[in-house]
Amino acid sequence: MKPVRLVAIAVLALTALTVFGARYLAPAGYEQQFREMPQAAPSVHHLLGTDDLGRDRWARLLYGMRVSLTLAPLAALFTTVLAGLVGGIAGYFGGWTERCCKLLIDLFLSVPWLFLLITVRAVLPLNVSPEASVMVTFALLGLLGWAASARVICAGAKDLMKSEFIWMARASGFSGFKLVRLHLLPNLRGALLAQFWISIPVFIIAEANLGALGLGVAEPLPSLGSLLRELQDAIMLRPEPWRLLPLAVLIVIISSFQVLLNKQEVRS
Amino acid sequence: MLRFWSGAGLRLVSVMLMASFMGAMLMRIAPGFSSDDQELNSGLSAQSIQAIRRVHLMDADIPHFYAQYIAALVRGDLGTSRSLNQPVKQLLRERLPVTLVNLAFALAMGWLLGLALAIGTELWDVPALNFFANALSGTFISTPAAALALVFLLLRWPPAFAAALLVFPKIYRYAQNLLQQSSEMPHVLTARAKGAGPLRVLAWHVAPIALPQMIALVGVSISIGIGVLLPIEVVSDVAGIGQLAWQAAQARDLPLLVNLTMVVTFVTVCATLISDAAQRGLSRSAA
Repeated sequence: MKPVRLVAIAVLALTALTVFGARYLAPAGYEQQFREMPQAAPSVHHLLGTDDLGRDRWARLLYGMRVSLTLAPLAALFTTVLAGLVGGIAGYFGGWTERCCKLLIDLFLSVPWLFLLITVRAVLPLNVSPEASVMVTFALLGLLGWAASARVICAGAKDLMKSEFIWMARASGFSGFKLVRLHLLPNLRGALLAQFWISIPVFIIAEANLGALGLGVAEPLPSLGSLLRELQDAIMLRPEPWRLLPLAVLIVIISSFQVLLNKQEVRS
Repeated sequence: MLRFWSGAGLRLVSVMLMASFMGAMLMRIAPGFSSDDQELNSGLSAQSIQAIRRVHLMDADIPHFYAQYIAALVRGDLGTSRSLNQPVKQLLRERLPVTLVNLAFALAMGWLLGLALAIGTELWDVPALNFFANALSGTFISTPAAALALVFLLLRWPPAFAAALLVFPKIYRYAQNLLQQSSEMPHVLTARAKGAGPLRVLAWHVAPIALPQMIALVGVSISIGIGVLLPIEVVSDVAGIGQLAWQAAQARDLPLLVNLTMVVTFVTVCATLISDAAQRGLSRSAA
């Protein structure tokens, strides 16, 4: 294994440990305010200082990573299931069904989905709870991000339907659900798994974009995206460069995912 | 050829209609659609608030709204923006060129940088260059557009350059992969074995195979470019359609949003169709 892949695995393993051990590593809860010391500089008690409301930045980073890295895989799972359904149906049935599914896929691919996401996310009520906002944000990501994966699955299913072993299975009397369950799905598992892994960093970045625009997870719940909002106070970045740490962490995590993903998968 | 273009035209119209309808539908089913920030304004009378609610209710019946919208569109009327109180046609006329100029710059720079690095790494197998190109593309593919726009704002660099840096990794990775695959083909290996130099191999044997697929990427890169320009325009306060979409979404301005969805879809589908046609043409002439 290449050293760079080992480093990526180590980074992601460390991230996972940090995220799940947030409760023990964080000096305080993500919403706990130290009102006597807002905008404090890094110290032994507050490793990354405190934000405008006196909340510990290190704690918010840990919990923010937990939110993003737990829900992005869930959204990726949702999108993979959707892609598997649409792509699988298109590839399995062919003909008009395939054309209709492809039109749907084209439709979703034609509109930049960040555009749709911002549109839909912006019309959520202003008084939505943090928990609901985080669920809605990632559910929307899953709902709108399936099209590219569906195209890959459709092509895979179509190729499989032409393969000899499927013909033999059909000749042996396999059809419908049994054919899908025993022959199609096991052979599409690799493609589905690849699409799942590819979707995770894409969704983390999409959430970060939404968060930076103020449309991600509602306060006080942190996420990697909502932590980037602190960058908007651009004048403070020079005297307080530690504000850039959430961005650096995000880049390192996404880069690690990119390194780990198979070259072909990333580039397909 | 006629069949291709008629099919493409049909696809363009149907995708545009479906995209704008989908945008309107998604807006409608969002729980906050019927609410308006102005309702919180304590200075407004009960009648004014009722009037605001009535305006929102007019848009609530999406099929009705959409049928009226299409009928007006056929007459060349794109409607009036509720939030900005200006004709949508005028807003698009003002904002679209700004986005198109930024998009053209971002794509040109992104392609130039991506292709230059991909060709460079293919021609000279220098580990340092490979590392630099991979690190650069890895960094920018992992950076959210909004965050990069903020950094550019801080550095006072042009926002279109941020978009270029976000488009470039996709071009570089795809081009590098394509060039690598093409250079492993038997006739390329034969050319090398016969003593053809790297530049000659690239120009005469690798590029002709890779070109049709690279052209297909043009359409995709336009979609990527629009996607990254949206948050960049919002953060950098660039008066393009990305910022307009953001303002329309914030104000729940359905007529403006439906038109913007149409425009964005039109640009991306047209680009994809043109690149598909060019790809077909090149593949045929190569065959």
